[in-house]
Amino acid sequence: MSARYGMVIDLDRCTGCGACMVACAAENNVAALPQATARTGLTPMLVRKVSNGMEGGARREVFIPIMCMHCEHDTPCVRVCPQQAVEVDKATGIVMQVPQRCLGCRYCMTACPYHARYFNWWDPSWPSGMEKSLNPGVATRMRGVVEKCNLCHARLHSAKEKAAAQGKREIDLADYVPACLEACPTGAIRFGNLADPRDPVTQESHSPHAFRLLARIGTEPKVYYKSRKAWVRALAESVSGRASEAASEVKNV
Amino acid sequence: MKVTRRDLLVWSAGAAAGLMVTPVPWKLLDDISIWSQNWGWIPQPSHGPVDVKQSFCTLCPRGCGIKVRMAGGWPVGIAGSATHPVNRGALCPLAFGAHQLNWDPKRLRAVRHHGNPASWEDARAAFAKCCNEGPVVIVDGHPGRAASVVLEKFAVNRGGQYRVVDSTETDALRPYEKWSGVPASELGYDLENAQTIVSFGTPLLDGWGIPGQFTRLWAEQAAGQNDPQLRLIQVESELSRTAARAWQWVPIHAGAESALASGIARVLLEEKLVAARGPVPLMTLAEVAIQTGLSPDAIRDLTRSIMAQRPVVAVANDADPAIAALNVLLGAVGAPGGIVRRSKSSTLQVVADSVIPNARAVLLDSTVPWDFVPKTDAEVFRFAAWDAGLSKADWLLPAPGFLEDLTDIPSAPSLPVDTYAVAPNLVRAPHPVQNAAQFLASVNSSLPTVEQIIHARCDNLFRSRAGRLSGLQPTPVTSFASCQKLEEELRNGGVWMAEPLTESFRCELKQWPDPFVSSRPEGWSTSWTSGVLPPLASKLYQESNLRDARERRNA
Repeated sequence: MSARYGMVIDLDRCTGCGACMVACAAENNVAALPQATARTGLTPMLVRKVSNGMEGGARREVFIPIMCMHCEHDTPCVRVCPQQAVEVDKATGIVMQVPQRCLGCRYCMTACPYHARYFNWWDPSWPSGMEKSLNPGVATRMRGVVEKCNLCHARLHSAKEKAAAQGKREIDLADYVPACLEACPTGAIRFGNLADPRDPVTQESHSPHAFRLLARIGTEPKVYYKSRKAWVRALAESVSGRASEAASEVKNV
Repeated sequence: MKVTRRDLLVWSAGAAAGLMVTPVPWKLLDDISIWSQNWGWIPQPSHGPVDVKQSFCTLCPRGCGIKVRMAGGWPVGIAGSATHPVNRGALCPLAFGAHQLNWDPKRLRAVRHHGNPASWEDARAAFAKCCNEGPVVIVDGHPGRAASVVLEKFAVNRGGQYRVVDSTETDALRPYEKWSGVPASELGYDLENAQTIVSFGTPLLDGWGIPGQFTRLWAEQAAGQNDPQLRLIQVESELSRTAARAWQWVPIHAGAESALASGIARVLLEEKLVAARGPVPLMTLAEVAIQTGLSPDAIRDLTRSIMAQRPVVAVANDADPAIAALNVLLGAVGAPGGIVRRSKSSTLQVVADSVIPNARAVLLDSTVPWDFVPKTDAEVFRFAAWDAGLSKADWLLPAPGFLEDLTDIPSAPSLPVDTYAVAPNLVRAPHPVQNAAQFLASVNSSLPTVEQIIHARCDNLFRSRAGRLSGLQPTPVTSFASCQKLEEELRNGGVWMAEPLTESFRCELKQWPDPFVSSRPEGWSTSWTSGVLPPLASKLYQESNLRDARERRNA
């Protein structure tokens, strides 16, 4: 049976600590380069701070972890890639990036409505000896390719190997825990199989407080967010990079 | 058969078309892509048997439980240990990149004397000479460890002084020590039983205490709820991360926390909202209003809101006596849900002053925060695994880095119960290193070793028959057949936890304390003792707009 792996991120629980960002980079062997900036760095998981646009005591802020939304329908990056370097895995629903096929044309970055794709501007490098600290389950990528979240595919492989060793066809979801989920100290990130109606994450995705970013464009993201605050839910229809401006439009909510 | 030019063309076209339906061209294309994108100069991960070890983070005094993924004998990943009874799998963001720290270019690889290379023998001879010439002051940043015993014994034997550097949590508990006589190192916060927490600028959700302890509690009992079981009221001049997530944010003028505590106390007494009688703050409500920027009515409303759900405890970011006095008035001292006593075994410790006069030598342990720079005429010997510059030490001595040293982990400063754990050395340092205890033992051979003290402590725990060991399954100490078994379990990631102390303590407050100027809140990045942060901290401070670079004061 095919799965649809997805997430529900409870924004009311996110404290903006950034543990998910660091854990993601460590898991995926992303180098910390001195020349990288907020525009050029690789942050497959990026926590953004947005506000309700008010000032002084009426100001409220929320932290939104932005990652590849693993769009289900008309996946924009898949449609524009001339190299078939992006594909939706039918067995898992994960939008996969194949760096070996990527030309670095960056059409997919332009097409992604969530700004969740990053161009690898430099060859990865680490100070002498630090390569011993790299995760052996994930290959390093060279410059000139686009990178993004693949829901810790190496961990999915490990879970599959474990299931195969036990003679099972299906993985145990407890064995497949993406790094960001493992790192989140408040349990704000929840991960599950959205194809399974009994999965608590599926049920949570149907909560009245759940929403998806830019739902109106119809790409059916598999990453859901959740908040009890109306002004936070109203952010969903703005472009992620300009969320605070959009939030100011609903500052009286 | 005659082969015509037409046949040749047809055959060629057919072969080309046929080849296209075989996997050969696609495989070749794929292989060329792979080959052309994996140049020899791109570092590749090392391979080897993968194993997961349980240990503890030793980069700050909190000692969170960690799972270390090892490949080929090297740590390749860090995750929180879900079986740790306090952090319960949660870590601060920096810990996830800590395994790369040992390879940081700022790693101190050899002894340095005034910036020049020197040998361990030179350093030992210079230190021994200083010890013979005058008093020595030894500064410890993480008191209570086995290594601390060695440092203290050496200082006492030589007629010198043993001083400690407080964590912000212990610093905030100093007023209670002064009023009750109970050492601050024996006190902790029982936040799990509190129902309202009034935080005066304390970064409760951003690095205060054990990072996972309060964030987990908050997530379970308060996050996003309109009427939560645990009310977090954040008094702070800025909309910090904790303020943004708090049940109520009270914006006041910067540095007016002490005044607001006095104002709340005045309302409590005036409106008889507390049973206790105590000294009345000298500051009037109007004066408090001017200092804080809140109206008198807002202060009254805030006080009623605080008292609506009890037990209440106020948490200070520093040794602000007015906030401590407010806790005394609220009845939060020596009571469940407040400031509690967790042990009765420690002694009063003297806090190190940044000015150290009349000493011939000052030795700073590697646990002393890097930004602690003593003002002294003495010769300064500083142990450190990383050299972040500006230390002003005469001697820089390379200490073991992350996971390279055997050490024990006493209770974290904010905990309400006593704990004990042992962090084994999982990796070998790539160059000669010594910790301060080993160095002192080489000068005075009569000192016990860290190994011996840990063994003796395990023996004491075994003989006490008290408490339990947390692991996959909590085990009472009484279940262990021998001390060796208990020690083995502790060295494999077990955490001993005492039973909560039932004995209470009281604070005598004769007059309301004088106003106090609060210091700037500090988060987890500033509580790290090492001068450098893991390289991947760049994701937080440089490659995103999540955190301001000025938050990174320590590195």
